[in-house]
Amino acid sequence: MKAGLFIATALLYALACVLYLFLLTRGSDKAQRVPGTVFVAALGAHLAFLLLEAPAPGELPLADIAQVLSVSSFGIGIAFLLASYRFDVTILGAFVAPLSLMLFLASGLGSSYAPVPPRVQSAMLTLHIAANVVGLIAFALAFAAGVGYVVQEGLLRRRQLGGVFQRLPSLDVLDTMGLRAVLVGFPLLTFGMITGTFWLLQAGGSEFYVSQALGLVAWAIFAGVIVLRVAAGWRGRKAALGTMMGFVFTLLVLAGYALRAAGGNA
Amino acid sequence: MRDFVVVGLSHRTAPVEVRERLAVAPDRLEQELREFASSGRFDEALLISTCNRVELYATSVDPVAAAHNAKEAFAGRLSEPVGDELLYQERGIDVIRHVFRVASSLDSLVVGEPQILGQVKEAFDAAKGAGTVGTLLGRCFTQAFATAKRVRHETGIAEGTVSVSSIACELAKKIFGNLEGRRTLLLGAGEMGESAARSLRQTGTQLHVVNRSDERAQRLAELCGGRAVPYERLSVELADADVVIASTASEKFILTPELMKGVVRTRRHRPLFIIDIAVPRDVDPRVANMDNVFVYDVDDLQQVAEENLSVRAREASRAEQIVEEEVEAFVSWRRSLELAPTIVALRKRFGQIAAEELERALPRLEGASSSDRAVLEAMGRSLVNKLLHQPMTQLKAGAGEPDGALLIDAVRRLFALSEEETAAEVASPEGSQDARVGQLAAAAATGSTGETK
Repeated sequence: MKAGLFIATALLYALACVLYLFLLTRGSDKAQRVPGTVFVAALGAHLAFLLLEAPAPGELPLADIAQVLSVSSFGIGIAFLLASYRFDVTILGAFVAPLSLMLFLASGLGSSYAPVPPRVQSAMLTLHIAANVVGLIAFALAFAAGVGYVVQEGLLRRRQLGGVFQRLPSLDVLDTMGLRAVLVGFPLLTFGMITGTFWLLQAGGSEFYVSQALGLVAWAIFAGVIVLRVAAGWRGRKAALGTMMGFVFTLLVLAGYALRAAGGNA
Repeated sequence: MRDFVVVGLSHRTAPVEVRERLAVAPDRLEQELREFASSGRFDEALLISTCNRVELYATSVDPVAAAHNAKEAFAGRLSEPVGDELLYQERGIDVIRHVFRVASSLDSLVVGEPQILGQVKEAFDAAKGAGTVGTLLGRCFTQAFATAKRVRHETGIAEGTVSVSSIACELAKKIFGNLEGRRTLLLGAGEMGESAARSLRQTGTQLHVVNRSDERAQRLAELCGGRAVPYERLSVELADADVVIASTASEKFILTPELMKGVVRTRRHRPLFIIDIAVPRDVDPRVANMDNVFVYDVDDLQQVAEENLSVRAREASRAEQIVEEEVEAFVSWRRSLELAPTIVALRKRFGQIAAEELERALPRLEGASSSDRAVLEAMGRSLVNKLLHQPMTQLKAGAGEPDGALLIDAVRRLFALSEEETAAEVASPEGSQDARVGQLAAAAATGSTGETK
C-alpha cells in the first residue's frame, strides 16, 4: 500500500513536470489547466502518503530526514499553488514541479536513513526543523522565480521573443516574487539556525560540522542578497542569481544531513 | 435563379483617395441600404464600409444586372467613371468564399487583425435594421461569423503583434508588468517615436517629452497628452523614466555609456527599457550591456514584426482550409433549399412511413387475402397523396416568392429532411424536374449557388 502510493505520487509529480515543461515550451490554449490539475492530483496522493506515514494523528511527520524531505516537497507544492493565485505565475510550475519531484524521490531513499535517536529529541529540535522546512519552502519559490527571471531576461536580451518569452511572467513580477519569498524565508532560516545551535549545545553534540558550515554560507548569501537589494538597490539578474545560489546551499545542507543519516550516524 | 453578388473595392484594388470618397459613415449605412433596396434590383443588400474596403453584398434574381447597378451606383458617387481595375465583383459561390475570408481577416491589409470581424458585424446589424437581410444573406453572414471564430480559435492567425508601436508596448509589459503609472520619456520628435509614445500613453503610462526645441516639445506634448520638459533636465528625466523612446535627428549618440552610468546609479538599478527608433541611432550599443538596461533598436522591432507576420502567413493557409470547409457546408445547405429535391425527399419520407405502418399492420390481420392487401396499400398511397397535396401546392407556389427559401427551410425543419438526403436525391432526379435539377446540380458543381425560381 505504502510503496504503491509512493510510486503513484512520484509518477504524478513526474507527469506534472513533463506537462508543465510542455506547456512552457509548446504552449496550448486548450490544455492550459491540465498540468496544474495533474500537479494537484500529485499533491493529493502525496497528502495521503503523508497521512499514512504520520506517527500519530495530529503529529507532524518531521522525525527523520526522510520525513523532512517529504514534507518540504509537499509544502513547496502547496505554497506554489497559493503563490500562483497571488501572482498569476502558474507557468513557473515548470521549475517548481521538478523540485517537488526531486525532494520527494530523495525522501524515498528514507528506508536507509537512520531515525533520530530519542535521546536527542526535544522541543527545540522540532522548532528548528519546522522553521527550516518553512524557510526552505519560501526559498524554493524564490528559486523558481529566480530561474524564471534569468531565463526571461536572457530571452529578452537575445531577442528571442517567441513562445517561452510570451508565456513566462514579466520581469517585474518575477523580481518582486523572488524578493518577497526571500524576505519570508530569511527570518525563518535565521530562527532555524539559532534554535539549531541551541539544540546542539543542549544535546552536547559537536557533530554536523559540514551541514552547519553550509547552512552558514546559505544564510550569509541570503543576508547579502537582502542587504544589497535594500541598501544598494540590487535588482534583477544579480539578485536572482544570488537567490538561486543561496537555495542551492540550503539544499546542500539537507544533502549533508541525508548523507550522514544514510551513514547511520544521526 | 436567385444568386449572390458582391461588388466593391478594397486596399488591394483601390488607393485610399478612391476608398475614402466611397466610404459610408456608420450612421448612414441603413439609409444607404434602403436606397439600394428601393432600386428594385436587389432582393437583399448589405453594405460593408471600413477604411480598407467598401463592398455591397446582395442577392438578386438577375445577378448580372444587379452587379451592373451596383457598379453604376458606386461610379455615381465618385463623379467619374470607375475603371474596372478598381472595382471587383464576384458571383455565386465566390461571394460566399469572399465574405468568409473577409470576416476571418484573411483579406485584410494586416492579415489576422481583429477589428474587421466587428466591422462586418456592425454592417450586418445595420442591414438587419434596414430590413434588407433575408434568409440567404442572413445565413451567409451568420456562417461567416462562425467561420471567423473557428479561424481565430483553430489557427494562430491573430497571434503576435505586427506593428512596431504595439511590439514596443508588449515588450514594456513583459518588463514592467503593469504599465499603469509608469513613465515614458519621448526624446526627439521622429514620427515613429511619436506613434510609439501614443501607444504607450494608451496603456496608462505618463508621458514626458524632451526636445532640443522647447517649442516643438510643447507641441508634441499637447498632441500626445504628455508634459514638455526642458532639454537641460535630460539626465534627471532619464533617471525617473521607465521607458525611453529615442527618436532624435542627432548624428551622434545621445545616450552614451558615460551619461547612462550616472543615470543607472541614480535610479538604483530600476529596469530601464530604451527603444531607439532613430536612424542614425541615438543610443550607444555599449549601453545595451548595462545591467537592467534593455535596448531595442528599430531593426530589432522590425524583425519581430516580420517574424510575427511570417507566422501569420503560415497560419493563413490553415485558415483558408477552414474557409473552404465552411464554404462547402454552406453550399450543401444552399442546395438543400432547392425545390425539387425537397419535394422528392418529402414524398419519400411520407411514403416510407406509410410502407412501414403497412408492414406492421398486415401481420396482425389474420387471413388477409392479397386483394385486401392491395386495398390497404392503395389506401396508404392515397392518404399520403391527400396529406401532401396542399403542402406541395403551397410549396411550389411559395418557392417562387422572394422568401421561398425560408418556406423550403421551414419544411425541411418541420419534417427533419437532412441535407445529405437531398444531395442524394439531386444525383438521381426524376420526372419533369429532371432538366431543371440537372442544370442546378451542374451549376452547383461549377460554382453557382443558384436557387430554383
